[in-house]
Amino acid sequence: MHLTDEQLNEYLDNASTERALIETHLDSCDECAARLSTLQALFVDLDSLPEVALSTNLAARFKPRPSLAPQLPRWLTLTVSLQAAAALVALIVAIPFFSVMIPQIETPSFTTWLFEIQSLWTSWLDALSNYQLPITQFPNLTTYPVELSTLFIALAIVSIFWIFGNGLLLRNQNRN
Amino acid sequence: MNAPTDRDLILRARRGDAEAYGDLVARHQTSVFNVCYRILHNRADAEDLAQETFIRALDRLHTFDLEREFSPWIRRVAANLCLNHIESHKPSAPLDEERDEDKTQGPSEQVEVKERSEQIRSALASLPPHYRLVVELRHYQELSYDEIASELNIPLSDVKSHLFRARKLLAEKLHAPD
Repeated sequence: MHLTDEQLNEYLDNASTERALIETHLDSCDECAARLSTLQALFVDLDSLPEVALSTNLAARFKPRPSLAPQLPRWLTLTVSLQAAAALVALIVAIPFFSVMIPQIETPSFTTWLFEIQSLWTSWLDALSNYQLPITQFPNLTTYPVELSTLFIALAIVSIFWIFGNGLLLRNQNRN
Repeated sequence: MNAPTDRDLILRARRGDAEAYGDLVARHQTSVFNVCYRILHNRADAEDLAQETFIRALDRLHTFDLEREFSPWIRRVAANLCLNHIESHKPSAPLDEERDEDKTQGPSEQVEVKERSEQIRSALASLPPHYRLVVELRHYQELSYDEIASELNIPLSDVKSHLFRARKLLAEKLHAPD
């Protein structure tokens, strides 16, 4: 009597409880030994199947994108909002001085309204510039012939540079 | 510095570290893809299912038992997804006839290896889905009969009959006299 397929399969899977009995039979039965060899050859075939390489990197989907801009110092990134707010205030302060440089044009009602606000703002600034602080004598202090309006214009130009600069920095951060 | 273990990467991924999960995927993507490719025998479907496996695994990562190995777990998830895919879809594309490469051998030996590999893959692909899955779990994931029965939630007798019939069919295809 020959071994069953189940006995041979369980023997090769190391799941048989009658290994000694099967081995004794295999020693004396060429037919069962040949069936076992065929099954062993199949195991070798299945084990020999090589791994196939992926054509895409699946990990890329799960990983965050690499940074496009170099990492900024932490103190600089923390002050970006403050810098932007300060630059905006400086720009508002500078608007009256720009209006002097812009030629007068016939404008719609909204613009007229805007200019009225500007003129109020200018008159307030004039009052502020004419305000006399109590005179204190500093005999050795060096003075420079710089007018207040020149300082404001310089401040406005610097503010514009800040806004553009911060805009570029924030654009890179948003991409990330 | 030693490379982080799977356990380290899983713990970091659970805390929302996408880089860590990406590293985990990179480490296991080839073996997961090969599970899918052996069962589906279609590259495009296998890549889609491998991707889907890692998406599912990410959703279930918080329930993963850290005392277990990640690799067998993720490969079993892939095998089950492939079975579900086969049961719910008819083949959408013809089976691949991709040639396997072994660069350690000479050209003529490489051709032989490729042809033999293709015969084995075709023979596997011709099996009924449940037979294919049992062969995958026994031969490539090295699960015991009991573990397969538990994994597929089928009786032990079914595991044995599927596996032994699958082997008989494979042997007939691969070792039939010319």
